[in-house]
Amino acid sequence: MDFSIITENISEYVNGLWLTVQLVSLSLLVGLVLSIPFAVMRSTERLFISGPVWLFTYCFRGTPLLVQMFLFYYGLGQLEFVKELSKSWTFLQDAYWYALLAFTLNTAAYTTEIIRGAIVATPFGEIEAARACGMSRGRVLRRIVLPSAFRRALPAYANEVIFMLHGSAVASLITLVDITGAARIINSRYYSPYEAFITAAIFYMALTFLIVWGFRQLEKRWHAHLKPRESN
Amino acid sequence: MPEPATARAAEHHALVCEDIHKSFGTLEVLKGVSLSAKKGDVIAMLGSSGSGKSTFLRCINLLETPNSGQVYVGDELIRMETNKRGEPAPSDRAQVERLRTRLAMVFQSFNLWSHMTVLQNVIEAPVHVLKRPKREAIEQAEALLEKVGIHARKNDYPAHLSGGQQQRVAIARALAMDPDVMLFDEPTSALDPELVNEVLRVMKDLAEEGRTMIVVTHEMGFAREVSSETIFLHEGRIEEAGPPQEVFEHPKSERFQQFLAGNLK
Repeated sequence: MDFSIITENISEYVNGLWLTVQLVSLSLLVGLVLSIPFAVMRSTERLFISGPVWLFTYCFRGTPLLVQMFLFYYGLGQLEFVKELSKSWTFLQDAYWYALLAFTLNTAAYTTEIIRGAIVATPFGEIEAARACGMSRGRVLRRIVLPSAFRRALPAYANEVIFMLHGSAVASLITLVDITGAARIINSRYYSPYEAFITAAIFYMALTFLIVWGFRQLEKRWHAHLKPRESN
Repeated sequence: MPEPATARAAEHHALVCEDIHKSFGTLEVLKGVSLSAKKGDVIAMLGSSGSGKSTFLRCINLLETPNSGQVYVGDELIRMETNKRGEPAPSDRAQVERLRTRLAMVFQSFNLWSHMTVLQNVIEAPVHVLKRPKREAIEQAEALLEKVGIHARKNDYPAHLSGGQQQRVAIARALAMDPDVMLFDEPTSALDPELVNEVLRVMKDLAEEGRTMIVVTHEMGFAREVSSETIFLHEGRIEEAGPPQEVFEHPKSERFQQFLAGNLK
């Protein structure tokens, strides 16, 4: 194996890393912000509120991320008004936004279900205690249900973040040069798949390590109430 | 039987409940229960399980919505209406929320907020519902935790405390609201026998301070020694009521006699 081609072309990977980090963190951030109200809506008993959210999560969890991204990138581009719009708004010709849109909605769907599960699992006695103190419904949600649900959701959400990172590799199929995109370029330029893709794998592993470490720090802070008592 | 109360009578009372009915589906749990508590009264409610005593307590602060009947907190009537589906519902949710701040509740299973420390549990409602300054709330909470003897554990989480300690924190949390009436829903039933006394002792202190308390309990000794009135519920009705000396010494109702005999064994 000849890793000198990697050191010579490391800037491809660094640019790819930057794009991956951008796509993944932006979609996770917006997805999380969307998923909180969605999860609250999804956990109500009123069908006209929870129904649309159920349909949304059903569609986005029921189909592959790759198919969703192709539908947005190739599908939306077929629509007359999108073609018209992209003449004046040239950014609409950029694959970046379609990947970001697909990633965001995809992670929003999964995160909605994660948080919904955590909301539904709130011990009912804690909710009653809050109501008995005179808290309004909104305050019970903000002060008791959501803080407690976020803590419960943390391990499952850490998984979702890692899945999203790895899922983002599909962006390389619509002209974007993320980490995988960089590897594909190096591979086709030098025909050296091992060097190219092992390097990509190392980048993904390093990112995963950072994510796992970050969530462990969060769990230390947020899960203090679940830890066994320290002996003293 | 407690005298039927009117709005006028309610003026002199901390809490008046009149003719409370409650059904779950076809099961009628409460068949018209009334109660009035003057300031400083400690009313013990006894009854076998299924007699409706917990349901009655939960109707007072509307954790359960009674099918009919009136609840006055002080002289203020909780206004009820019939909603679109034909079910009884409070007319003004804000009124219920405001009155709940004056009716603190202590639950059988403690129901402390598990993600908050002891201190955070106690200051939560004073800060976020009563809008007291945080520093003031902390000072008051520390004093209350001292009073229930659990100050040393103020930074611990509920899961790290014993049941008796958790229940004492729950009592401090209720006291932090400066309530007019305290509702106790079988506060010692989930505790190991040796932990019961530490909670009863705190409750006895509160009674001696002149707190108005409605206590649903299985603790005969507490009812007998501490309460100013003992009420025995059976199948959703008041079977026996009166000062504890009277009802325990000379129970009129046969069912209460049986109940006492069963509990003394």
